[in-house]
Amino acid sequence: MIKMTKEQLINFETDIADCFNNAIIKAPVHLYDGNEEQMIDIFKNVKSEDWIFCTWRSHYQCLLKGVPPEQVKQDILDGKSITLCYPEYNIYSSAIVTGNIPIATGTALDIKRKGGTNHVWCFVGDMTSETGTFFENWKYAINHDLPITYVIEDNGKSVCTDTKSVWNTDELYFAKETRKIIYYQYQTKYPHAGGGKRIQF
Amino acid sequence: MKYFDELKRSMDWLNEQPNTLFLGQAVEYAGTGMTNTLKDVDRNKMLEMPVNEDMQMGLSLGMALNGTVPISLYPRWNFLLLAANQLINHLDKVKIMSDGGYTPKVIVRTSIGSQRPLHPQHQHIADFTSGFRAMCETVDIIRLEEPNQIFEAYQYAYNRTDNRSTILVEYGDYYNEK
Repeated sequence: MIKMTKEQLINFETDIADCFNNAIIKAPVHLYDGNEEQMIDIFKNVKSEDWIFCTWRSHYQCLLKGVPPEQVKQDILDGKSITLCYPEYNIYSSAIVTGNIPIATGTALDIKRKGGTNHVWCFVGDMTSETGTFFENWKYAINHDLPITYVIEDNGKSVCTDTKSVWNTDELYFAKETRKIIYYQYQTKYPHAGGGKRIQF
Repeated sequence: MKYFDELKRSMDWLNEQPNTLFLGQAVEYAGTGMTNTLKDVDRNKMLEMPVNEDMQMGLSLGMALNGTVPISLYPRWNFLLLAANQLINHLDKVKIMSDGGYTPKVIVRTSIGSQRPLHPQHQHIADFTSGFRAMCETVDIIRLEEPNQIFEAYQYAYNRTDNRSTILVEYGDYYNEK
Protein backbone atom coordinates (compact mmCIF):
# COMPACT_ATOMS: atom_id res chain seq x y z
CA MET A 1 0.00 0.00 0.00
CA ILE A 2 1.50 3.28 -1.12
CA LYS A 3 -0.33 6.48 -0.39
CA MET A 4 2.41 9.04 -1.01
CA THR A 5 5.10 9.74 -3.58
CA LYS A 6 8.72 10.54 -2.79
CA GLU A 7 8.12 14.19 -3.59
CA GLN A 8 5.03 14.35 -1.38
CA LEU A 9 6.94 12.84 1.53
CA ILE A 10 9.78 15.33 1.14
CA ASN A 11 7.35 18.22 0.83
CA PHE A 12 5.52 17.14 3.97
CA GLU A 13 8.69 17.14 6.07
CA THR A 14 9.78 20.44 4.52
CA ASP A 15 6.47 21.95 5.56
CA ILE A 16 6.87 20.61 9.10
CA ALA A 17 10.44 21.92 9.25
CA ASP A 18 9.20 25.36 8.20
CA CYS A 19 6.51 25.26 10.88
CA PHE A 20 9.05 24.28 13.50
CA ASN A 21 11.60 26.84 12.36
CA ASN A 22 8.92 29.51 12.65
CA ALA A 23 8.15 28.46 16.23
CA ILE A 24 4.67 27.22 15.36
CA ILE A 25 5.27 23.78 16.90
CA LYS A 26 6.05 23.92 20.61
CA ALA A 27 7.19 20.33 20.96
CA PRO A 28 10.00 18.19 19.57
CA VAL A 29 9.87 16.97 15.99
CA HIS A 30 12.15 14.37 14.40
CA LEU A 31 12.22 14.58 10.63
CA TYR A 32 13.08 12.09 7.91
CA ASP A 33 15.10 12.90 4.81
CA GLY A 34 16.97 10.84 2.27
CA ASN A 35 15.23 7.51 2.89
CA GLU A 36 12.05 8.03 0.86
CA GLU A 37 12.78 5.36 -1.72
CA GLN A 38 13.65 2.75 0.90
CA MET A 39 10.49 3.51 2.85
CA ILE A 40 8.30 3.34 -0.22
CA ASP A 41 9.84 -0.01 -1.11
CA ILE A 42 9.12 -1.36 2.37
CA PHE A 43 5.53 -0.16 2.31
CA LYS A 44 4.88 -1.95 -0.97
CA ASN A 45 4.66 -5.04 1.25
CA VAL A 46 2.65 -3.50 4.07
CA LYS A 47 -1.03 -4.43 4.12
CA SER A 48 -3.72 -2.19 5.59
CA GLU A 49 -4.38 -4.66 8.41
CA ASP A 50 -0.69 -4.85 9.37
CA TRP A 51 0.70 -3.25 12.50
CA ILE A 52 3.36 -0.52 12.43
CA PHE A 53 5.48 0.21 15.51
CA CYS A 54 7.60 3.34 15.24
CA THR A 55 10.05 5.40 17.21
CA TRP A 56 9.89 9.16 17.80
CA ARG A 57 10.54 9.61 14.06
CA SER A 58 7.41 8.32 12.37
CA HIS A 59 5.89 10.83 9.94
CA TYR A 60 6.70 8.77 6.83
CA GLN A 61 5.25 5.57 8.28
CA CYS A 62 2.00 7.31 9.21
CA LEU A 63 1.67 8.85 5.77
CA LEU A 64 2.55 5.66 3.91
CA LYS A 65 0.11 3.63 6.03
CA GLY A 66 -2.64 5.92 4.86
CA VAL A 67 -3.21 8.46 7.62
CA PRO A 68 -4.37 11.64 5.85
CA PRO A 69 -1.51 14.19 5.68
CA GLU A 70 -3.68 16.94 7.14
CA GLN A 71 -4.43 14.74 10.17
CA VAL A 72 -0.74 13.93 10.69
CA LYS A 73 0.16 17.59 10.35
CA GLN A 74 -2.50 18.70 12.82
CA ASP A 75 -1.32 16.16 15.39
CA ILE A 76 2.25 17.38 14.91
CA LEU A 77 1.12 20.98 15.35
CA ASP A 78 -0.62 19.81 18.53
CA GLY A 79 2.73 18.59 19.84
CA LYS A 80 2.29 14.85 19.35
CA SER A 81 5.02 14.20 16.80
CA ILE A 82 7.15 11.94 18.99
CA THR A 83 4.33 9.59 20.01
CA LEU A 84 1.96 9.49 17.06
CA CYS A 85 -0.62 6.77 17.63
CA TYR A 86 -3.42 5.88 15.22
CA PRO A 87 -5.44 2.87 16.41
CA GLU A 88 -7.61 2.93 13.29
CA TYR A 89 -4.44 2.38 11.23
CA ASN A 90 -2.70 0.02 13.70
CA ILE A 91 0.12 2.49 14.32
CA TYR A 92 1.91 2.87 17.66
CA SER A 93 4.92 5.15 18.24
CA SER A 94 7.16 5.39 21.28
CA ALA A 95 9.63 8.08 22.25
CA ILE A 96 11.60 5.71 24.49
CA VAL A 97 14.65 3.97 23.01
CA THR A 98 13.77 0.26 22.48
CA GLY A 99 10.28 0.93 23.86
CA ASN A 100 8.35 -0.20 20.81
CA ILE A 101 10.26 -3.46 20.34
CA PRO A 102 8.74 -5.86 22.91
CA ILE A 103 5.29 -4.40 22.29
CA ALA A 104 5.66 -5.15 18.59
CA THR A 105 6.94 -8.62 19.38
CA GLY A 106 3.95 -9.20 21.66
CA THR A 107 1.49 -8.18 18.99
CA ALA A 108 3.20 -10.54 16.55
CA LEU A 109 3.04 -13.32 19.15
CA ASP A 110 -0.68 -12.71 19.64
CA ILE A 111 -1.32 -12.73 15.90
CA LYS A 112 0.42 -16.07 15.58
CA ARG A 113 -1.40 -17.61 18.57
CA LYS A 114 -4.72 -16.59 17.03
CA GLY A 115 -3.84 -17.79 13.55
CA GLY A 116 -3.96 -14.28 12.10
CA THR A 117 -2.59 -13.39 8.70
CA ASN A 118 -1.47 -9.82 9.31
CA HIS A 119 2.12 -8.82 9.90
CA VAL A 120 4.02 -6.54 12.28
CA TRP A 121 6.61 -4.01 11.17
CA CYS A 122 8.87 -2.59 13.88
CA PHE A 123 11.11 0.37 12.99
CA VAL A 124 14.26 1.09 15.01
CA GLY A 125 17.35 3.23 14.65
CA ASP A 126 20.96 2.12 14.48
CA MET A 127 21.76 2.63 18.18
CA THR A 128 18.61 0.78 19.23
CA SER A 129 19.54 -2.14 17.00
CA GLU A 130 22.71 -2.62 19.07
CA THR A 131 20.87 -3.01 22.38
CA GLY A 132 20.17 -6.16 24.33
CA THR A 133 16.45 -5.51 24.03
CA PHE A 134 16.66 -5.67 20.26
CA PHE A 135 18.68 -8.88 20.33
CA GLU A 136 16.40 -10.61 22.84
CA ASN A 137 13.23 -9.77 20.95
CA TRP A 138 14.68 -10.64 17.56
CA LYS A 139 15.89 -13.96 18.98
CA TYR A 140 12.44 -14.67 20.42
CA ALA A 141 10.80 -13.79 17.11
CA ILE A 142 13.20 -16.00 15.16
CA ASN A 143 12.88 -18.97 17.50
CA HIS A 144 9.08 -18.74 17.57
CA ASP A 145 8.82 -17.74 13.90
CA LEU A 146 6.65 -14.74 14.63
CA PRO A 147 5.09 -12.66 11.83
CA ILE A 148 7.29 -9.62 12.34
CA THR A 149 9.94 -7.67 10.46
CA TYR A 150 12.32 -5.35 12.28
CA VAL A 151 13.45 -2.45 10.09
CA ILE A 152 16.82 -0.99 11.08
CA GLU A 153 17.21 2.56 9.80
CA ASP A 154 20.87 3.47 10.02
CA ASN A 155 21.58 7.18 9.78
CA GLY A 156 24.84 6.66 11.64
CA LYS A 157 24.00 8.59 14.74
CA SER A 158 22.08 8.49 17.95
CA VAL A 159 21.15 12.11 18.69
CA CYS A 160 24.67 13.34 17.85
CA THR A 161 26.60 10.28 19.00
CA ASP A 162 28.35 8.12 16.42
CA THR A 163 26.83 4.68 17.01
CA LYS A 164 29.65 2.63 15.49
CA SER A 165 32.32 4.65 17.25
CA VAL A 166 30.94 4.18 20.75
CA TRP A 167 30.49 0.44 20.15
CA ASN A 168 33.98 0.37 18.67
CA THR A 169 32.90 -1.38 15.50
CA ASP A 170 33.00 -0.75 11.77
CA GLU A 171 29.68 -2.40 11.13
CA LEU A 172 26.43 -2.75 13.03
CA TYR A 173 25.85 -6.22 14.48
CA PHE A 174 22.74 -6.88 12.39
CA ALA A 175 23.79 -5.06 9.20
CA LYS A 176 24.05 -8.30 7.22
CA GLU A 177 21.30 -10.23 8.99
CA THR A 178 18.32 -10.91 6.75
CA ARG A 179 16.17 -13.15 8.97
CA LYS A 180 13.19 -10.98 9.93
CA ILE A 181 15.34 -7.88 9.46
CA ILE A 182 15.48 -5.21 6.81
CA TYR A 183 18.54 -3.00 7.14
CA TYR A 184 19.24 0.17 5.22
CA GLN A 185 21.50 3.19 5.50
CA TYR A 186 20.65 6.77 4.70
CA GLN A 187 21.94 10.26 5.22
CA THR A 188 19.69 13.04 6.37
CA LYS A 189 19.95 16.80 6.10
CA TYR A 190 18.03 17.29 9.32
CA PRO A 191 19.50 17.20 12.83
CA HIS A 192 18.28 14.68 15.40
CA ALA A 193 15.48 17.03 16.42
CA GLY A 194 14.01 20.14 14.88
CA GLY A 195 14.26 21.65 11.44
CA GLY A 196 17.87 22.79 11.50
CA LYS A 197 17.37 26.29 12.80
CA ARG A 198 17.82 27.43 16.39
CA ILE A 199 14.48 28.66 17.66
CA GLN A 200 13.76 31.09 20.46
CA PHE A 201 10.23 30.37 21.65
CA MET B 1 -12.31 -19.51 51.94
CA LYS B 2 -8.67 -18.99 52.68
CA TYR B 3 -6.25 -16.64 50.94
CA PHE B 4 -4.73 -19.27 48.64
CA ASP B 5 -8.11 -20.78 47.82
CA GLU B 6 -9.48 -17.39 46.81
CA LEU B 7 -6.48 -16.84 44.55
CA LYS B 8 -6.97 -20.20 42.89
CA ARG B 9 -10.70 -19.53 42.52
CA SER B 10 -9.85 -16.24 40.84
CA MET B 11 -7.43 -17.89 38.40
CA ASP B 12 -10.00 -20.58 37.61
CA TRP B 13 -12.53 -17.85 36.83
CA LEU B 14 -10.09 -15.91 34.66
CA ASN B 15 -9.30 -19.16 32.85
CA GLU B 16 -12.96 -19.39 31.87
CA GLN B 17 -12.94 -15.99 30.20
CA PRO B 18 -12.47 -16.40 26.45
CA ASN B 19 -9.67 -13.93 25.77
CA THR B 20 -7.28 -14.47 28.69
CA LEU B 21 -3.72 -15.77 28.68
CA PHE B 22 -1.41 -16.43 31.65
CA LEU B 23 2.26 -15.62 31.11
CA GLY B 24 5.43 -15.35 33.14
CA GLN B 25 8.10 -17.56 34.64
CA ALA B 26 6.83 -20.60 36.55
CA VAL B 27 3.48 -20.60 34.77
CA GLU B 28 3.76 -23.85 32.83
CA TYR B 29 6.58 -25.10 35.04
CA ALA B 30 6.61 -25.30 38.82
CA GLY B 31 8.65 -22.80 40.73
CA THR B 32 6.73 -20.32 42.84
CA GLY B 33 3.77 -20.15 45.16
CA MET B 34 1.78 -18.56 42.37
CA THR B 35 2.27 -21.66 40.21
CA ASN B 36 0.01 -23.67 42.50
CA THR B 37 -2.87 -21.25 41.93
CA LEU B 38 -2.75 -22.13 38.21
CA LYS B 39 -2.91 -25.89 38.50
CA ASP B 40 -6.35 -26.11 36.89
CA VAL B 41 -5.76 -23.50 34.20
CA ASP B 42 -5.95 -24.75 30.61
CA ARG B 43 -2.41 -25.53 29.40
CA ASN B 44 -3.20 -23.84 26.11
CA LYS B 45 -3.74 -20.62 28.02
CA MET B 46 -0.30 -20.70 29.64
CA LEU B 47 2.81 -19.14 28.17
CA GLU B 48 6.08 -19.78 29.96
CA MET B 49 8.38 -16.81 29.43
CA PRO B 50 12.13 -16.39 29.37
CA VAL B 51 13.30 -14.44 32.39
CA ASN B 52 13.15 -10.95 30.99
CA GLU B 53 10.80 -8.80 33.01
CA ASP B 54 10.65 -5.69 30.83
CA MET B 55 10.22 -7.76 27.68
CA GLN B 56 7.41 -9.71 29.35
CA MET B 57 5.57 -6.49 30.18
CA GLY B 58 6.03 -5.23 26.62
CA LEU B 59 4.80 -8.53 25.20
CA SER B 60 1.80 -8.32 27.50
CA LEU B 61 0.97 -4.87 26.22
CA GLY B 62 1.50 -5.91 22.62
CA MET B 63 -0.84 -8.88 23.03
CA ALA B 64 -3.39 -6.66 24.73
CA LEU B 65 -3.32 -4.27 21.78
CA ASN B 66 -4.40 -7.22 19.66
CA GLY B 67 -7.35 -8.06 21.91
CA THR B 68 -6.03 -10.49 24.49
CA VAL B 69 -6.29 -9.86 28.25
CA PRO B 70 -2.94 -11.10 29.56
CA ILE B 71 -2.51 -12.08 33.19
CA SER B 72 1.18 -11.28 33.57
CA LEU B 73 2.85 -12.86 36.60
CA TYR B 74 5.74 -11.35 38.57
CA PRO B 75 6.26 -13.37 41.75
CA ARG B 76 7.81 -10.45 43.66
CA TRP B 77 7.69 -6.66 43.54
CA ASN B 78 11.49 -6.74 43.31
CA PHE B 79 11.17 -8.55 39.99
CA LEU B 80 8.38 -6.32 38.70
CA LEU B 81 10.70 -3.37 39.32
CA LEU B 82 12.72 -4.55 36.30
CA ALA B 83 9.64 -4.05 34.12
CA ALA B 84 9.20 -0.44 35.19
CA ASN B 85 10.06 0.95 31.75
CA GLN B 86 7.32 -0.89 29.91
CA LEU B 87 4.92 -0.46 32.81
CA ILE B 88 5.37 3.27 33.43
CA ASN B 89 6.39 4.57 30.00
CA HIS B 90 4.08 2.41 27.91
CA LEU B 91 1.29 0.45 29.57
CA ASP B 92 0.47 3.38 31.81
CA LYS B 93 0.75 5.99 29.04
CA VAL B 94 -0.67 4.31 25.92
CA LYS B 95 -4.23 5.38 26.63
CA ILE B 96 -3.11 8.99 27.13
CA MET B 97 -0.77 9.03 24.12
CA SER B 98 -3.53 7.76 21.84
CA ASP B 99 -6.26 10.04 23.23
CA GLY B 100 -8.13 7.01 24.48
CA GLY B 101 -7.86 5.24 21.14
CA TYR B 102 -5.84 2.32 22.47
CA THR B 103 -7.39 0.73 25.56
CA PRO B 104 -5.36 -2.40 26.25
CA LYS B 105 -6.13 -4.16 29.50
CA VAL B 106 -3.39 -6.09 31.29
CA ILE B 107 -3.78 -7.78 34.67
CA VAL B 108 -0.49 -7.91 36.55
CA ARG B 109 -0.02 -10.27 39.47
CA THR B 110 2.76 -9.54 41.91
CA SER B 111 3.52 -10.23 45.54
CA ILE B 112 5.24 -8.93 48.62
CA GLY B 113 7.66 -11.74 49.31
CA SER B 114 7.01 -13.99 52.27
CA GLN B 115 9.29 -13.68 55.28
CA ARG B 116 8.10 -16.70 57.27
CA PRO B 117 9.33 -19.38 57.89
CA LEU B 118 12.24 -18.49 55.61
CA HIS B 119 13.42 -14.91 55.25
CA PRO B 120 14.68 -14.38 51.68
CA GLN B 121 16.53 -11.19 52.62
CA HIS B 122 16.43 -7.70 51.25
CA GLN B 123 16.09 -8.17 47.50
CA HIS B 124 12.97 -10.34 47.75
CA ILE B 125 10.55 -8.76 50.22
CA ALA B 126 9.86 -5.27 48.90
CA ASP B 127 6.49 -3.59 48.73
CA PHE B 128 6.80 -0.88 46.06
CA THR B 129 3.08 -0.13 45.98
CA SER B 130 3.38 3.48 47.09
CA GLY B 131 6.22 4.27 44.70
CA PHE B 132 4.46 2.80 41.70
CA ARG B 133 1.18 4.47 42.59
CA ALA B 134 3.08 7.76 42.50
CA MET B 135 4.38 7.01 39.00
CA CYS B 136 1.20 5.64 37.43
CA GLU B 137 -1.45 7.86 35.89
CA THR B 138 -3.79 5.18 34.59
CA VAL B 139 -2.64 1.82 35.94
CA ASP B 140 -4.50 0.93 39.13
CA ILE B 141 -2.84 -0.90 42.03
CA ILE B 142 -4.84 -2.99 44.49
CA ARG B 143 -3.31 -4.62 47.56
CA LEU B 144 -5.02 -7.87 48.47
CA GLU B 145 -5.14 -7.66 52.25
CA GLU B 146 -7.93 -10.09 53.02
CA PRO B 147 -9.15 -13.33 51.44
CA ASN B 148 -12.67 -12.04 50.92
CA GLN B 149 -11.55 -9.21 48.64
CA ILE B 150 -9.48 -11.35 46.23
CA PHE B 151 -12.08 -12.83 43.91
CA GLU B 152 -13.97 -9.57 43.62
CA ALA B 153 -10.74 -7.70 42.87
CA TYR B 154 -9.77 -10.02 40.02
CA GLN B 155 -13.30 -9.89 38.60
CA TYR B 156 -13.14 -6.11 38.78
CA ALA B 157 -9.74 -6.05 37.04
CA TYR B 158 -11.11 -8.12 34.18
CA ASN B 159 -14.54 -6.53 33.88
CA ARG B 160 -13.69 -2.90 34.54
CA THR B 161 -15.23 -0.71 31.88
CA ASP B 162 -12.70 2.12 32.11
CA ASN B 163 -10.19 -0.16 30.33
CA ARG B 164 -7.47 0.55 32.85
CA SER B 165 -4.86 -2.05 33.61
CA THR B 166 -4.57 -3.33 37.16
CA ILE B 167 -1.71 -4.53 39.35
CA LEU B 168 -2.89 -6.87 42.08
CA VAL B 169 -0.48 -7.16 44.98
CA GLU B 170 -0.56 -10.36 46.98
CA TYR B 171 1.13 -11.15 50.28
CA GLY B 172 3.32 -14.20 50.16
CA ASP B 173 2.96 -14.83 53.88
CA TYR B 174 -0.82 -14.89 53.67
CA TYR B 175 -0.77 -17.96 51.43
CA ASN B 176 -0.30 -19.96 54.62
CA GLU B 177 -1.49 -17.58 57.31
CA LYS B 178 -4.93 -16.34 56.24
